[in-house]
Amino acid sequence: MLGELEQVVLLAVMRVGRDAYGVPIHDEIERRAGRDLTLGTIYKTLSRLETKGLVASHVGEPTSQRGGRRTRCYVVSAAGKQALQATFKSLRRMASGLDVGLEPST
Amino acid sequence: MIRFCIWILERALLPDFASPVIGDLIEQQDRGSLWMLGETLSALWCLHRPPRLGGSLLRSVVSDLRVAARLLRRSPTFTIVSVLTLGLAIGATTAIFSVVEPVLLRPLPYPDAEQLVFVWERDPDGARDNVGFATFRDLITQSRTLERAAAIGDWQPTLSDKDDPERVQGDRVSWSYFRTLGVRPAVGRDFTEEEDSPGHSDVVILSYGLWQRRYGGDRAMIGRPISIDGNPYLLAGVMPASFDNVLTPTAKIWRVLGYRDQPWACRTCHHLRMIARMRRGEALAATQAELDVIMTRLVTAYPKEYASIGTVVGRIQGETTRNVRPALLALCGAVLLVLLIAVANVVSLQLARATRRSEEFAIREALGASRSRLIRQLLTEGLLLAALGGVAGLLVAYTSLPQLIRQLPPTLPRLSAIRIDVGALGVVTAIVVLLALVMGLAPVRGRSGALADTLRAGRRLTGTPNHATRAMLVVGEIALAAMLLVSAGLLGRSLIRLLDVDAGFDATHLLTLEINSSGPKYPNDTTVFDYHDRVREAVRALPGVTGVAVANQLPLGGNVDTYGVTDPANVPANPELVPSGDRYAVSVDYLETMRIPIVNGRGFTASDATAGGSKVGLVSVALAQRMWPNENPIGKRFRVGGADAPSRTVIGVTGNVRHSGLDAKTTMQWYIPERQSLFADNEEILIVRTAGDPAALAAAVRRTVRAIDPTQPIDKMSTMDDVVSASTSQRRLALVLFGAFAVAALLLAIAGIYGVLAGSVSERARELGVRSALGATPRAIISLVVGQGGRLSLLGIALGLGGSVALTRYLRSLLFGVAPDDPATLAGVCVLLAAVTLAASLIPAARAARIDPSTALRSD
Repeated sequence: MLGELEQVVLLAVMRVGRDAYGVPIHDEIERRAGRDLTLGTIYKTLSRLETKGLVASHVGEPTSQRGGRRTRCYVVSAAGKQALQATFKSLRRMASGLDVGLEPST
Repeated sequence: MIRFCIWILERALLPDFASPVIGDLIEQQDRGSLWMLGETLSALWCLHRPPRLGGSLLRSVVSDLRVAARLLRRSPTFTIVSVLTLGLAIGATTAIFSVVEPVLLRPLPYPDAEQLVFVWERDPDGARDNVGFATFRDLITQSRTLERAAAIGDWQPTLSDKDDPERVQGDRVSWSYFRTLGVRPAVGRDFTEEEDSPGHSDVVILSYGLWQRRYGGDRAMIGRPISIDGNPYLLAGVMPASFDNVLTPTAKIWRVLGYRDQPWACRTCHHLRMIARMRRGEALAATQAELDVIMTRLVTAYPKEYASIGTVVGRIQGETTRNVRPALLALCGAVLLVLLIAVANVVSLQLARATRRSEEFAIREALGASRSRLIRQLLTEGLLLAALGGVAGLLVAYTSLPQLIRQLPPTLPRLSAIRIDVGALGVVTAIVVLLALVMGLAPVRGRSGALADTLRAGRRLTGTPNHATRAMLVVGEIALAAMLLVSAGLLGRSLIRLLDVDAGFDATHLLTLEINSSGPKYPNDTTVFDYHDRVREAVRALPGVTGVAVANQLPLGGNVDTYGVTDPANVPANPELVPSGDRYAVSVDYLETMRIPIVNGRGFTASDATAGGSKVGLVSVALAQRMWPNENPIGKRFRVGGADAPSRTVIGVTGNVRHSGLDAKTTMQWYIPERQSLFADNEEILIVRTAGDPAALAAAVRRTVRAIDPTQPIDKMSTMDDVVSASTSQRRLALVLFGAFAVAALLLAIAGIYGVLAGSVSERARELGVRSALGATPRAIISLVVGQGGRLSLLGIALGLGGSVALTRYLRSLLFGVAPDDPATLAGVCVLLAAVTLAASLIPAARAARIDPSTALRSD
């Protein structure tokens, strides 16, 4: 099962889509979840996810706006999506029958 | 900041992440340097490269820090008390040093500032006196050791170029003033030598602040006339923003002196201060000797124009801070005592903790921890605690320093240079590191090596060796607290004595303000006097006003306006040796309004308020006694202001008034109706006696005066009570700070003695249990514990009194009417300390009495 931070970061990477690197991932999490994570935390989580094979990364192009530094872009792998599904499934099972508003509205 | 962050990150981050993280940071750099720093720290924490060399050391330091942080969190009371204690003490120390360093120690912000000196005439009693212009000119032309010199006179012009006239503090200075200091205007030019003569001297230079505030920093104004006192003055230049005018810190505008050949350029016109720059390489003593020789020559050449017998030459910094130096140094001493107490207290807390943790350490040692590893753990804890205390101290200093500055006199030089600077920070850091070492190592010293010993110690009946150290620390704390309490007590008694001094007038229900009459609307003295009369009439008509008067100066208002008083029937060979008295040119109702008693003869009547009639005057008791000892002064005649001045008949004698300070030696006064004065004063004090609260009438009085002439500024409005209390403000400041330090010291000492006794009671629980099992009554046990506290307290008090007697003589210049070894203060402090330490021992004593013998013994 994925940690809470891992879930948030994975979902953010999927939401950003192409060119998902630190800044847009951070902004997406801030906008949707209202959490102001530091870039260090985000990259640390991504590196852990990459070790587990849940995301893959490639080096992007350097731009002048970034002082000539390259980006490191992430995509969620198939295993990553499965891990998310498994986590959500178990959460739903845990919540089923409880009045906590987690039941999918049918 | 950003460059620094990148530099760190490039070296410390995992290579895979360095480039993306730095790129992200650069992309977002407009979020500010604080954000950048936070992100950098976080990235370092999350993504740091594994250390190569000394990796295990770093790891263990980090783990020590984590353990230390956890331990401190687990005993919050200990942590909070320690950090607060350290924070207050470090903060207070930093704040005081931040004031003392720039004011007393840092060189003045002028090139070769140590060559700059004040030159005073030296009166026969050794006092410093201003110089006259002729003396100033002779000193500088005849001196070889002085390179340049300048004379400074007081000047308070009214800026009259806009709708709101404004009085500003300024100086009239020699053309060479700024050149002597070694500074130049930032915009425009300096004064020229030609301008320093009558008819050419309507030239001014502004301070940067005044130029910005009132004239919006308009460069086009430079070289053009601005309106001052209703007349055009050429604005020559503006001083740089960085120029700190230590000679008159409040001056914002300078006008060239232009005294040459004027009647007030005489030798006896003592109203100029003289500064000079000694030639490079000249020593102060050589200059002093040379100027004394020149002065002696002048006194011989003009025997009737000098009362002085030589000169006083002193460095500018020392001379400008002469009055505050004793108070600031005393505060330094006091704050150091507080710091010592705080350190003692925290070390004592740390020892108590070590005693509680001795079994933990023994077990850790037994499980294989090396002794050095344990020491390092303790050091880390001490360092962390000291660092937290340091941060708290910085916070305290940052919040308290602005308050402190607000309490300092605005005339104190270098006020603007006071800030928490690197020097003060260095002091804090040094203190913190020192504390870390002391605190870290104290528990190790109290530790015995072997596990068995320590575990066995648990069965001991009496206290541990740490206990003796803590008891000593408490004795020290009480002694230091006693010294601070004695100092605060002496200062407090001084202030009470001072406020008991009869000022000679009734300060209650009086409102005072400065009114002005300058500019083309007031071409001669009569127009000025008429204006005063109109103002008095209008204000008297206000409801709630019971009396109105005007005077050229106020008692205790900080003015110096003295004249030599001569008996025409008895002129001494050297006219400069006649007594000088405070000049009071007043409206006829002044004495009545101030409630200054007439002890002999009569006061002024309305008929005295004419220029034509026979000239009359009143003298104070002290002046009468000095002029005509053992004679009836009524009907005698006196003369002020030169041999050709008219003589006046004494019609009455007034009570003495404290003019220059409640704590200053009594001066002598003479009073004349202002219409009989030789000249009118353009700045006048309006004094309003009210039936109720004088402050409540302030707005109405201001409106009324303004309605009579809206072009004239109204200044310095305050109640007479405030004027009196402002004259004691430095004593108040010293008292407030000493009082605060003393209270803090007392609280720390109480906490200390409580801590020691409470610790001792819990350590001796078994012993006390045995005692009560063997028949000791609760009363006996209470007296046992209280006796233990009492012994510590008495020892501390005795040491403290000894220390006080040794140290309070340094306070002597701050005391008034109280001896440094005032028995009442000493006795009061003894009783207070004995009482509070007794109270502090009662709680642990009561706990000791409640120990149930069966529980205490069973725990074995």
